Amino acid sequence: MNNNPDGTADTKTGITITTTPEDHLIAWLAALAIAIHIIESVLPSPLPGVKPGLSNVITIVVFVLYGWRTAVWVSMLRVLVGSILIGTFLSPTFMLSFSGAVASLIVLWLASRLPGDGLGPIGLCLLAAMAHMFGQFYIAYLLFIPHEGLFKLLPLLMTAAVVFGIISGIIVRSMLRHLEKDANDITAPNRNEQE
Amino acid sequence: MTRADYFAILFAVLLLPYLYATQWTGDKAGTTASIMNGDETTHASLTENRTLQINGVVGTSTLKIEDGKIRFTASPCLGKQCIHSGWLAHAGEFAACLPNRISVAVLGEEPRFDSINF
Repeated sequence: MNNNPDGTADTKTGITITTTPEDHLIAWLAALAIAIHIIESVLPSPLPGVKPGLSNVITIVVFVLYGWRTAVWVSMLRVLVGSILIGTFLSPTFMLSFSGAVASLIVLWLASRLPGDGLGPIGLCLLAAMAHMFGQFYIAYLLFIPHEGLFKLLPLLMTAAVVFGIISGIIVRSMLRHLEKDANDITAPNRNEQE
Repeated sequence: MTRADYFAILFAVLLLPYLYATQWTGDKAGTTASIMNGDETTHASLTENRTLQINGVVGTSTLKIEDGKIRFTASPCLGKQCIHSGWLAHAGEFAACLPNRISVAVLGEEPRFDSINF
């Protein structure tokens, strides 16, 4: 508790903010996810709601390496800060992004409760992408376009979710392999939230 | 790839055709047809195959019901517009023999069109 690696302690006013190593980890990973989120928001999209969702790659990597709680922090910070930086905070875009993120976090929580080997990166990404799509689709239906006709889009959107989910799963798998190779000598934080 | 991964992929692969099948074949087939002969309207079920003879103003029109569809097969009119309308299967589809004053409309929960102008 005494070490403040980047000197965040403010002794002049008597307020001391102590940061744990976990805080720094979350900040770094969230920054990475936010950067990807912003870069991706510039990409043109053929259909509203269809995006590769590459920032979810970070969420899944964090989930696998550091557990569900850290993944929630990184994902929520990404949605919040990302929307503030792009300028969509509290707009429909933000609502959809937020509800999708919440839905995929719920699925990740369920996945962490699975017995046995549980899901690998591809399964996690696939289910998270589908949950993300379904969550934002349902919120879009409830709040913005309450018309039955919207359901005609669902098959297309889900197809995109499945394709991009599997692609990002493959990315996560190769990322984890690289990280494991690099982190062999460093003691990796254990997955305490997984228990 | 764990076993759960394969289940996840299987789930996705099965869900997609289900979604396409349920969402993209939205026009539900009608189950009954209303037949107007002059001023009187009768309802006919489309579930059993049969042929109906209906006596109109000019003569007898023949309607055929087959596999949930209905069509005019013969009519004493000149233009035969009713016969050219072909099979009617979806809710809201409509064919009429104006000279004989007989019209057929397929009923259903959701009509496909509000009205059709020729």
